Amino acid sequence: MTAYRGRALCACVACVIVGCGSVDSPAPAPAITVGSALAGVQSLARGLDDTPRSIDPQFATDVPGQRVLDDLFEGLTAIDIAGKASAGVASSWESSADGKTWMFHLRPDARWSNGAPVTAGDFVYSWRRMVDPRTGAAYAQGLAAIDNALEIAAGKKPTDTLGVEALDGHTLKVRLSGPTPYLLDLLAQQYMYPVYEPAITQYGDAWVRPEHLVSDGAFVLRENVLGSRITLEKNDKYWDAAHVRLQRVVYYILTDQAAQVSRFLAGDVAWTDSFPANQRAWLKSTLGGQVVNSPYFGSYLLGMNFTQPPFKDNLPLRRALVIALDRAPLTHYMREGMYDPAYTLMPPLPDYQLPLPDWTGLSSEARHELARRLYAQAGYSDRRPLRLDLDTTMLDTGTRHYLEAVAANWRSVLGAEVHIDEREFKVLLQELQLHKLLLFHDAWIGDYPDPYTFMQIFYSGNGNNHGDYSNPHFDQLIDAAGQEADSSRRFRLFEQAERLLDDDAAFIPLYYYATRHLVKPYLRGWQSNVMDRNLSRYMYLLEHQER
Amino acid sequence: MLRYTARRLLGAIPTLLVIVTLAFLLLHMAPGGPFDGAKRLLPEIQKSIEAKYHLDEPLWRQYLRYLADLARGDLGPSFQYRSTSVNEIVAQGLPVDATIGLTAIALALVVGGAVGVNAALRRGTRWDYGSMALAVAGISTPVFVVAPLLILVFAIKLHWLPAGDWVHGSPSHLLLPAVALALPYTAYIARLMRASTIEVLNSAFIRTARAKGLPPRLIVWRHALRPTLTPLVSFLGPAIAGVVTGSIVVETVFGLPGIGRYFITAALNRDYTLVIGITVLYGALIILFNLLADLCYAWIDPRVRLR
Repeated sequence: MTAYRGRALCACVACVIVGCGSVDSPAPAPAITVGSALAGVQSLARGLDDTPRSIDPQFATDVPGQRVLDDLFEGLTAIDIAGKASAGVASSWESSADGKTWMFHLRPDARWSNGAPVTAGDFVYSWRRMVDPRTGAAYAQGLAAIDNALEIAAGKKPTDTLGVEALDGHTLKVRLSGPTPYLLDLLAQQYMYPVYEPAITQYGDAWVRPEHLVSDGAFVLRENVLGSRITLEKNDKYWDAAHVRLQRVVYYILTDQAAQVSRFLAGDVAWTDSFPANQRAWLKSTLGGQVVNSPYFGSYLLGMNFTQPPFKDNLPLRRALVIALDRAPLTHYMREGMYDPAYTLMPPLPDYQLPLPDWTGLSSEARHELARRLYAQAGYSDRRPLRLDLDTTMLDTGTRHYLEAVAANWRSVLGAEVHIDEREFKVLLQELQLHKLLLFHDAWIGDYPDPYTFMQIFYSGNGNNHGDYSNPHFDQLIDAAGQEADSSRRFRLFEQAERLLDDDAAFIPLYYYATRHLVKPYLRGWQSNVMDRNLSRYMYLLEHQER
Repeated sequence: MLRYTARRLLGAIPTLLVIVTLAFLLLHMAPGGPFDGAKRLLPEIQKSIEAKYHLDEPLWRQYLRYLADLARGDLGPSFQYRSTSVNEIVAQGLPVDATIGLTAIALALVVGGAVGVNAALRRGTRWDYGSMALAVAGISTPVFVVAPLLILVFAIKLHWLPAGDWVHGSPSHLLLPAVALALPYTAYIARLMRASTIEVLNSAFIRTARAKGLPPRLIVWRHALRPTLTPLVSFLGPAIAGVVTGSIVVETVFGLPGIGRYFITAALNRDYTLVIGITVLYGALIILFNLLADLCYAWIDPRVRLR
């Protein structure tokens, strides 16, 4: 993509970014000269990790789908440039004192791409459609915060009992089942976006085709070539169209991360969704500041089965495995320092005090000694070592090497023999759901920046609680947090709950995830954020020359 | 020949039925379902989705339903890509794969054929050893090595050709994928043609032609070339069926909208209809191209009689 048109660049502010290719770098970065003026052609090409499963907001359950839908649609709130929820279709709102009733005032100039106004009734229709079991929307439980949503999704109540009501064309009343301080973040999720009823009524499932799709976001769908590319064009009917500078966005679907790198180096895409983790050092030396890593709201961990030996009723063993690991060198050497070592379930979040376990203050010798004592207390020794499979899905090379190093760490500190056993994802899922696995790979990415999205997975009976962990005190704390309207007090309850998880050694934290992007220096209007949501609406291209 | 063709086509029906049945049973026996995800669904939602796709019905009824749809040419909805039918996926991807595949085969035939025949005619020379060494290297080098190398040289370094993407009718977008795909076929065809040409050149009718004093060029072009094609035709039948249904590596590396990748991803995602759909398509193409190969035998070799 070369937006440079031969005009002289503003020399006083022009910067030249030249990759300082090392001796072993086979492909030194092209020199890029960036000007200060907007590029004449505002057409952005972005790499996308996979084909979106659906362009229907209520069926999309994947990150690629969310990326495209963030550009096509807008909810009551919208993600701002810093990744936070801000005013979207709703220009203002207020909530009742108990935090259970909210009134949203829709901006009168919000329009669908065909020019029709976006009304409160559109949200009522869309959310009812989402929780209607006949729709079969996989994330229907995402609306659990709204009164009666779960009962409707379970087929126990009719859809018109959902806690949402259009008081008039531009006023929406939302009743919640409990105070939900993260509601504004929740409303910016793709499954909360409105959908256009007349198009769905007329075309059924085919309403998502480019010729039928009506959307209310900054862009409209022009082309969707499955497995290849998705082309969007600026929506002139969008209420904030005056501030949208990109005229066209093309998402190239590149499932191979190395292919994303190739396309970036060839100048075909200005933004990649990811790059191979094991190429980070080379890319950093070649592309310098074009390699972007930042904290991501996700944790990589190992789960343990609380219903079967050796972990059932065996706190010393669980703690020994948690404590023995040398996380900092493991992530530094085996993950190229791209991720931060994790000691908690929750990744860092503003205003949330990560409850670091006491043992993190110990020296490595003292920590190893403590782990060995616990291991012996659990009945294991050099003569009778723990022998166990670590069950994972099919791994990429970097993660496999990392887990091999984890197993080696346990072997060297404790003498435990842990063997990595990879299996197909669907097979692993089924065995996890049947609670057949003892020690297993697990990971969690938060949907919205709130501790609840992580803590809920350890709630008794939760479908994602694969280790079947159960602690009534933990459940009480989560319930109490669910009824707490004050954000600060709520966070303190979650912190207490997380301490319980640590006391029970409910899981083995490994590292917090990080985002991985390659970004051309002439692409502006974006900021790294923990939710890794970067809307094209804010992006723009500067004049540049790439040699 | 018409009766033979009709009989072969009718004979394909039970073959395809066996393919469908095996694919259907194997997929349903595999652990995990199409709607099992990392985040577990509410049981009621899971049931609702399964009912929508008739997965709540007994297996025999699902099977009969699938066969009835298939008989009407309806390959069903994709489970993996909501709101998209398998027919749409095939209709969108097959022309792309067919264009790249047939171009690759044409390239392989021209280059591989010329190199192989030349090597046979210059048997024992440096040309022969050199070209056959290259052919072995071509067969041994996987596409996932060749394709990124082509991109590195022609797209990233020289900026001559695009590193990926697909634009209908654009030769520049076609060239690199076609060359990457053609390379192993070129090498294989070169070896095949060399062996076949040497065998034909040693046969009695060529000896006779030489004894009659015909010029070498005429012997090769008029008498030797046609019979050398017999083993090539045997190879090309299944090879063409293979390339026109796509290559997962080429599609992934170049970001092409073909159907080859679904052989893997659809199976891993338990997208039953998509897997069965492309398996049936692949089976049908294998049958079709094998039939065409048999018809070609009769044209190449007058001793072959189709019955």
